[in-house]
Amino acid sequence: MSRTSDKRRILLAITETSPLQALWRAVVESLAGSHGELTTVFVSDDRWHRAASLPFTREVSKVSGDSENFTRERAQQIDEDTVGRTHRELEKLASEAELPLEFAVLPEHDASKLREIVSVQHDVLVLPSILKSRPIYAELTRLKCRVYYVDTEETTDTEE
Amino acid sequence: MPAVSEQIRKLVVPASQLRRVCQPLSKARPETVEPGEPFFGQQRAVDALRFAIDMEREGYNAYVLGPLGSHRHKLVEELAKERALSRPAPDDWCYINNFADPERPRALHLPAGKGTEFRDNMRTLIDEMRLAIPAAFEADDYRSQLKALEADTQKEVEQQWRSLETQASSKGIAVLQTPTGYVLAPLRDGKVIDDKEFDKLPEEQRKEIQAAVQSLGEELHLRIEQMPKLRKRHLERVRALDREVTAHAVKLLLDELRQSYHEFPDVLGYLDEVQQNIIENAQEFRQTEEPGLPFLKKDTSALFAAYEVNLVVRNEPDDGAPIIYEPNPSYPNLIGKVEHRAEMGALLTDFRMVRSGALLQANGGYLVLDIHRVLGRPFVWEALKQSLFTRQVRIESPAETLGFVSTGTLKPEPIPLDVKIMLIGERWLYYLLSAYDNEFGVLFKVAADFDDDLERSTDNVAAYAQLVKERIRECGLLPFRAAAVRRVIEQRARKAEDSERLSMHMRSLDDLLMQADYWARRRGAKQVAVDDLREAVRQKDRRLDRVQNRVVDAIRRGTLLVDTSGECVGQVNGLAVLDLGESQFGHPVRITATTRVGTGDVVDIEREVELGGAIHSKGMMILSAALSSRFAPHLPLSMHGSVVFEQSYSGVEGDSASVAELCALMSSLSELPIRQNIAVTGSINQLGRVQAVGGINEKIEGFHAVCMERGLDGTHGAIIPESNVQHLMLNDDVVASVRSRKFKVYAVTHIDEAIEILTGVTAGKRGKNGEFPEGSVNRKVEDQLIRYAEDRKHFAEGQDSDEQDE
Repeated sequence: MSRTSDKRRILLAITETSPLQALWRAVVESLAGSHGELTTVFVSDDRWHRAASLPFTREVSKVSGDSENFTRERAQQIDEDTVGRTHRELEKLASEAELPLEFAVLPEHDASKLREIVSVQHDVLVLPSILKSRPIYAELTRLKCRVYYVDTEETTDTEE
Repeated sequence: MPAVSEQIRKLVVPASQLRRVCQPLSKARPETVEPGEPFFGQQRAVDALRFAIDMEREGYNAYVLGPLGSHRHKLVEELAKERALSRPAPDDWCYINNFADPERPRALHLPAGKGTEFRDNMRTLIDEMRLAIPAAFEADDYRSQLKALEADTQKEVEQQWRSLETQASSKGIAVLQTPTGYVLAPLRDGKVIDDKEFDKLPEEQRKEIQAAVQSLGEELHLRIEQMPKLRKRHLERVRALDREVTAHAVKLLLDELRQSYHEFPDVLGYLDEVQQNIIENAQEFRQTEEPGLPFLKKDTSALFAAYEVNLVVRNEPDDGAPIIYEPNPSYPNLIGKVEHRAEMGALLTDFRMVRSGALLQANGGYLVLDIHRVLGRPFVWEALKQSLFTRQVRIESPAETLGFVSTGTLKPEPIPLDVKIMLIGERWLYYLLSAYDNEFGVLFKVAADFDDDLERSTDNVAAYAQLVKERIRECGLLPFRAAAVRRVIEQRARKAEDSERLSMHMRSLDDLLMQADYWARRRGAKQVAVDDLREAVRQKDRRLDRVQNRVVDAIRRGTLLVDTSGECVGQVNGLAVLDLGESQFGHPVRITATTRVGTGDVVDIEREVELGGAIHSKGMMILSAALSSRFAPHLPLSMHGSVVFEQSYSGVEGDSASVAELCALMSSLSELPIRQNIAVTGSINQLGRVQAVGGINEKIEGFHAVCMERGLDGTHGAIIPESNVQHLMLNDDVVASVRSRKFKVYAVTHIDEAIEILTGVTAGKRGKNGEFPEGSVNRKVEDQLIRYAEDRKHFAEGQDSDEQDE
């Protein structure tokens, strides 16, 4: 694949509970005023789906502490809602920044798709710190590029 | 019996009595003049006012009765000033925030001058607090304490979660986070197991896992429930810290004020409340940078405004009691008001927007009001009375007082009232209020009645001259020659319509002096002379004589039929006065009478067509009675007479034409013609006596002007009541005509004198035989009435026989 020298390829990994605004700031910083292309992978947490397959799993509300059955449908609904909302927000941000955006959903267990993504050369990887504890982290960090870790409040710039 | 002409000559008023001239003032006794007493002649009013001012009892407010322009305001102000300076300055009054109930601002009073000081001190305190409180929150000490509190709380939260995760992990359970909550998932080899893997587990293990998940779920529920309590506890700790910091910051500042006002318990109490309120609202004073729209940002100036002092009454310690004149006593101007400010479409208010009215400004002193303005403005009279009765001022809108408003607004604490009200107004309003308002007499017990005029005694003339000089000096006019001053005094007698009195109407005096000054300056004179006064009077008359000229012109052209020569039966010249406000003038009016046999009634045509007033009708009835009692008293009055003011198309009022009307009737009855070169005025009583009337000067002058227009020939004159001679202050033209024998003024006391002048025939007195002399007017009148009675009798007898025949 040919690429122009003044365009930066950015890979943004994102999860259901990632701080989107902070991640976006990191994306904008990584562009450093140059043109770029953004590929976003929404890393879908398959642990929910596994847990949801169990008949006794319940979701305890953060607000009230009340619990409800956590079913496959509920897990699927959360996935879809979160993916849809994240996609829309990113599209809006990218449009404002005039940044071409590719958006893909990557189930964590889908090794072939992950390999496909990783096989493409990227200049910058932006990911939330929370992914460090997930199996996918090892695959992502095989990329030979600059990596931005984003916590909830702060952005850490790590050169690898 | 003396000849008629000789008797008439005795009735002629000498020229010297037509206008009482003012003698040179050097002949007066100036030592009797009270220097520096500008209100001489008003001693009754002065005494009444001094009494009202000194009388410190409830209800002893004053009503100053007198016409406009009589310097009532000046008198009230000067007398009140005499007393006010010896009285202590009343307290200052402030409205302050009622922290417990902000809708009911509290009133606070301090000695005169202290209110201003307190207000300024509180402003300074606010300025200092504006810096000190945020600075305290910015201090490293506060920040470190706050961070320590936050760290403690955070640590507690983390500990809660960590212990739960540890607990879960020890049981092979993972705590997964979803966007809205938490899910507990069993692990195997660090990986969440699904249903297939779970089913492969031995039943006992499955039960253990399920029990662990359930138990942890309950624990999770409890931890989540604990979170708000943790947050609340944290906020309470922060609040306590904020209070401590704020209290430390403000206490030092407030202690200084406490020291300054240690004599005033109310102020100390208020300062305690301020401190308590600031501490309670400590967090509000922290200046934090919060995102949001500009108009939603925290406005700390509004927070501090709660501690401002609204000084509504300010007095100076050395000024004595206040004397306030409110020229526009509208409800808000008198009672006070609560203002509002528009903010984002809403009308807001607070204790700082309470405004005092004249009542509070005058509290402890004197308030001067014009009664016609008080009565002319809605709700003011009732509100004034209510304030005086309750002895307090309650600032609220009239709509609220009447219960027309239901929206919430301020109810400032009423302020005790101790004020002396001086109402200034016309007499008729005083009498009206006395008659129709029961409360008026309770609240306004003192009437200070201004005299309209003053006796023209030698002392008073000298004092009046002094007053004229004062007015000349005060108005900045040219000096007046001595003769001009005397002329002024004569004019003042004319204004009083009485040669023996002087008008006390000060505005008209000022007008006369200023206008004379104008004409003197116009001719380049350095002093005002008699001619300037004449010119002032002449020009003023000229400015107002349009209607008078029209009347005279109509008479000259014959449109208005008034003869000034010749003789006519049953026709006489009466004299009328037209009052057009500033201008009054007299003119002749033709009165005619006709008689025939009748039933004893005299028809007043003016009354029949409702053009005659009540007094005029009364005069007509009196003259009927005079006629019937004097002539043929043993016979029924068998006459039908009718009397009319010819060419009069508007109302006729007063009884001053009753002499003329009786003369016209007598002429008609006696068939003796009446001289048309003489006009008559005067009222008559039942005994034929002639009584005084008003407007005497204008009436004579009016007839004189008409005669002069047609040419005076020495036969012209006017008959007036003898009791009116004292009122004569005729103009120079009339006096000159009399001096040159071209015009005469006759003064009569009885109808007989008037009829003799008008007919040139002796009236005649009833002799021992009970009859009037042959040929006399009265004999002719009586004979005619007897004939009418006989005719009537014959007529009645004829009628009776006709009826019997039938």
